[in-house]
Amino acid sequence: MSKVSKWDELQRSWVIAMKDMKIYYLRPAPIMFGVMFPFTLFLSFAVGRDVPIAKLAPLLLAQTLFWASSSVGPVSIPVERRVRTFDRYLSAPLSLVSVLFGKTLAGVLYGLSISTLAVALCIFAFGTAITDAFVLILGMGLASLGFSAMGIMFASIPTQNPGEVMMPMNFIRIPMLFISGLYIPVSQLPTIGQAAAFLSPLTHTLDLMEYGLGGSSHFGIPVNVAVLVLYTLLFIGIGISFHRRIMKTQ
Amino acid sequence: MTYAVETVGLTKYYDSFLAVDHISFQVRKGEIFGFLGPNGAGKTTTIRMLTGVSTPTDGTASIMGYDIVRQSVEAKALMGIVPDVSNVYDELSAWDNLVFTGELYGMPKRRLQEKAEALLRRFGLYDRRGEKVVGFSRGMKRKVCIAMALVNDSEVLFLDEPTSGLDVESVREIRQMVRALNEEGLTIFLTTHNLEEANQMCDRIAIINRGKIAAIDTPERLRQIARNVQSVEVAFNETPGDLVDELQRLAAVTSVEKRGDKYRIFTNEPPLVLREIWAYAEKRSLTPISISTLGPSFEDVFVKLTGKEMEKELVREGKAATQNAGRGGER
Repeated sequence: MSKVSKWDELQRSWVIAMKDMKIYYLRPAPIMFGVMFPFTLFLSFAVGRDVPIAKLAPLLLAQTLFWASSSVGPVSIPVERRVRTFDRYLSAPLSLVSVLFGKTLAGVLYGLSISTLAVALCIFAFGTAITDAFVLILGMGLASLGFSAMGIMFASIPTQNPGEVMMPMNFIRIPMLFISGLYIPVSQLPTIGQAAAFLSPLTHTLDLMEYGLGGSSHFGIPVNVAVLVLYTLLFIGIGISFHRRIMKTQ
Repeated sequence: MTYAVETVGLTKYYDSFLAVDHISFQVRKGEIFGFLGPNGAGKTTTIRMLTGVSTPTDGTASIMGYDIVRQSVEAKALMGIVPDVSNVYDELSAWDNLVFTGELYGMPKRRLQEKAEALLRRFGLYDRRGEKVVGFSRGMKRKVCIAMALVNDSEVLFLDEPTSGLDVESVREIRQMVRALNEEGLTIFLTTHNLEEANQMCDRIAIINRGKIAAIDTPERLRQIARNVQSVEVAFNETPGDLVDELQRLAAVTSVEKRGDKYRIFTNEPPLVLREIWAYAEKRSLTPISISTLGPSFEDVFVKLTGKEMEKELVREGKAATQNAGRGGER
C-alpha cells in the first residue's frame, strides 16, 4: 500500500473545499452573513455621511473578508454532523488537520470571492485606486485565512445546529466591529480602546486594506501581518484540539 | 497471523458511562462477521471506534494489522463504511457522491471513473447517475452509500444495520449484494439487531450486551447453547379463549405462548407433548391444521445469553418494514 504523503493530504483537503463550494456557498446562512451583512452594514454607515465613498473602500473590504470568510465553516460543520457526512472525513484516509484545513479553505475561497467582488465594485463604481497591490493581496489572503479559521474554531462547539454556532460567534463578531476602527478611527479611541483595537484581528485587516488602497497602517504592516498570523495559528490550534476532544468524548 | 479486524481490550466511556467494556475479538480475512446485540448494547460505538470516527478510551484496534489510532491513515485506506443512516450528500448526484469519495481516498481519475461506473451499473443506478440523491428512495440511497463504501477498493467493509428501515425487496437485494461481495473476497463486519439476518448471513457472530461480549461462535454452535429449549408449534381450526390455560396443563409442558393463530408449547419432551396434543384435540373436537416441532431458535440463544427479550424489537422492525413496503419505498 502506497504511503499517503503531505501532498496527497493537501489534495484531499482541496477536494473537501471544492465539495463545500458546491453545497454550501449558496445556502441562506452564508449568503446572509457573508454577503448581505457586510454590504448592509457598509451602506448603513456610508449613506448620508460626509465622507467620500472611495475613502470607505477599506471598510467595505475588511467587513466582507471578516463576515464572508467566517460564515462557511459554522454552517457546513454542524450540518455535516447532523447528516453524519462529517463521519465520512473522519473515516477517510486523511488526518483531522487535513479535514479542518479543507473546511478552512472553503471559507478562505468564499471570503476571497466576495471581497474580490467588493474590490471590483470599489474600483469601477467608487473610483478607488490600488496603491500597493502586494499588501492588499497579502492582507486579503491572511485575513480570509484567519477569519475562516475563527469560524472553524467556533464550529468545534459540539452541536448539530448551525444557529448554536452562529449565536456565540456573533457575540464576538459584532463587538469586534466597534473596537476595530471601522466606525471610529483607532487614533481617535481612548488608550484602553486602542489597546482593545490592537487585540482585534479585524483592526489589522482594516490597516492592511487602508495601506493597499492609498491610506496608512496605524500599527504598521509588520505588526499587522504578525498579529494576523498569530491569530490564524491560535484559531487553527484551538479548533483542532476541540475537534479532537469531540472525537474522544462522542 | 494478520486479522482483518482485531481488538484488544477496546473500551469507550462517555463521561462516566461505560459504553464498551474491554472487548477483544478477531475477524478473519474473508469472513462475514456478525456483531449482534440489542439497541444500546455498544454496537455502533464499537464500529465508530473501529472506523476512526471516535477515539477509544482504552485498548487497541487494528485493521489489516494497522492500528486505528497510531496508523489511522493506512488503516482507513483499507476500509469502507456504511453507517446506520445513509450519509450521502443529498445535494450531489449519485455520480458526484462516488467521485467525491474516490477523490477523498486519492484514487487516480481514470480508475475512479471506471470503478464508479461499474458500481453504479452493478447497483442498478447508472441510468440515474446524474440525478441529485435527494430524490432517491431510502433503498436507493442505501445502495449509493454501499457503492461509496466500495469505490476505494476496500478490503474490509463495515455495515452498521444495513437493512434497518428498508422495505422487504431492498432488504433482499442488499443481503444478496453483501453475500456476493463476500464471495469476491471482501471481509464483512456486520452489526445488526436482527437475529435472523445474522443467522442467515454470518460465518461467525459476536453477541454484545451492555458493552461486553457475551459469546463469539458460529450461528449453529451458538444455537447449541439453548438446546434445552425445544417446542411444538400447533394451529387449530378454532381458537377457544381458554386454550392457553388448557394446553399449559398437558403433561411435560413447561410453558405456552400464543403467537398469532399458533400456539408454541415449550417442553423437554416433544414426542410426549405431541401425543398429549392429539388426545386433547380429539377430546375438544378440535382439528390441528398445522403442527411442527422446533429446535432452539436464535432468539432463544440470544435471550439465554443476554437475558433480553428481543420480541419487542423484532415487532418494531417488522412494523417499520411493513410501513416502508406499503409506501413502496420512502422518498
